[in-house]
Amino acid sequence: MNNAILIVDDMEINRAILAEGFKDEYEILEAENGRQAIELLDSNNNIAAVLLDLIMPEMDGMGVLKEMNDSGKIVHIPVFIITAENSEKMLMDAYNLGAVDVITKPFMMNFLRCRIGNIIELYRHRNDLEEIVNEQVERLNKINLSMVETLATLIEFRDCESGEHVKRICGLTDILMTAVTEMYPEYYLPRSEIDKIVTASILHDVGKIAIPDGILNKPGRLTKEEFEIMKQHTTRGCDILTQIPNIMDVDIYNYSYDIARHHHERWDGRGYPDGISGDNISIWAQVVAVADVYDALVSPRVYKKAFDFETAVKMINDGECGVFNPKVLEAFNRSADKIRSKEIEE
Amino acid sequence: MDLIAELEGLGVNTSEALSRFMNNKALYVRMLGKFPAAAREADVSSHFKAKDYDTAVASAHTLKGVTGNLSLTPLYAAYTDIVALLRGGQPEKAEAILEEILPTEEKIIACIEKNS
Repeated sequence: MNNAILIVDDMEINRAILAEGFKDEYEILEAENGRQAIELLDSNNNIAAVLLDLIMPEMDGMGVLKEMNDSGKIVHIPVFIITAENSEKMLMDAYNLGAVDVITKPFMMNFLRCRIGNIIELYRHRNDLEEIVNEQVERLNKINLSMVETLATLIEFRDCESGEHVKRICGLTDILMTAVTEMYPEYYLPRSEIDKIVTASILHDVGKIAIPDGILNKPGRLTKEEFEIMKQHTTRGCDILTQIPNIMDVDIYNYSYDIARHHHERWDGRGYPDGISGDNISIWAQVVAVADVYDALVSPRVYKKAFDFETAVKMINDGECGVFNPKVLEAFNRSADKIRSKEIEE
Repeated sequence: MDLIAELEGLGVNTSEALSRFMNNKALYVRMLGKFPAAAREADVSSHFKAKDYDTAVASAHTLKGVTGNLSLTPLYAAYTDIVALLRGGQPEKAEAILEEILPTEEKIIACIEKNS
């Protein structure tokens, strides 16, 4: 529990009075100026309150408040201005910088102890609550993710796969998205978005659950009619996702929807279901498309054996699995070592 | 004579100060012992003589806080006025008040030093 009070005043007399008033209940830390106060705030994580003088050498009280705003500490640690100041403007400035209360010298110790004690108690409750809420949000996110994973695994089982395909697609999506966004500024995305896209890629084949077993697991080549039905796993995926939007974060939902629909589109417009081309296809759908094709090539299927790494890379580059964005291909080729070592890992 | 009683005679509100010090008389006496040096270091009158009113207001402000906390009531009242007058652009009036209070300050300092 936070149980230290930081007393900041350039006059020892003033510090001694405050220390005397609080030493039985709290650990006392003392600073002679703002600079020392900031150092103590950085090196102690048990500070429950700051009692701050305004006019001091080196760095004054306003400077301390500004620093605490910059570091965000002002949100969790109450700051009391203790001052002989009565200039309204200066006191208002202190409040505006986040001071919780202004106490003018000379003060009455008993009242001071009550006021400060009450606020410390309030902050403790608030900080505790915040921690509890954060823990719960994290737990909810984990549960959401595991629901998404469970759903994907169920589909894979029908597809006579073990759930490994989904994990590999995630790994490949991560490697490729990272490479593309680092290499090409026009595709830049922050890490937090890439993480969401990686999660969303789990559900790219969710629509396969609506494809009849006879087609999904047919050992030979599909007829034209069968292939048309097979293609519907993209749009059926979207239908399914619209029924269950609440199991995931709204951003992940949007990425999932887009990836489920467009991970079979091609750069030249000859993919499906919409036949869109170029960068009309989102970069994440383009990336999952390459990841999906690569994984299909290097995995054994009911109708084919697994190709080795070199053959798979060559086939993708030669356009045997459709045309891809040259930039995504470049990122894929430059990531070849990472992709290969991932394969060996498994 | 006892320091506390003697200061009381000079207008110091010792009972208020003692309650501020959680009735720790030894601590109060020890902190009183630091006042003479603090007053000399602040040296408000020399800043007035040099017409350095920025430093004068800062020093007077420091003494206002300290004298307030030690309940050196007459000095606290004077320094409160001095700070306000200096900020209000009336240094002559502020200096007059300082001249007036200095003998009392000297007496209080002498009393503290004699008893420590």
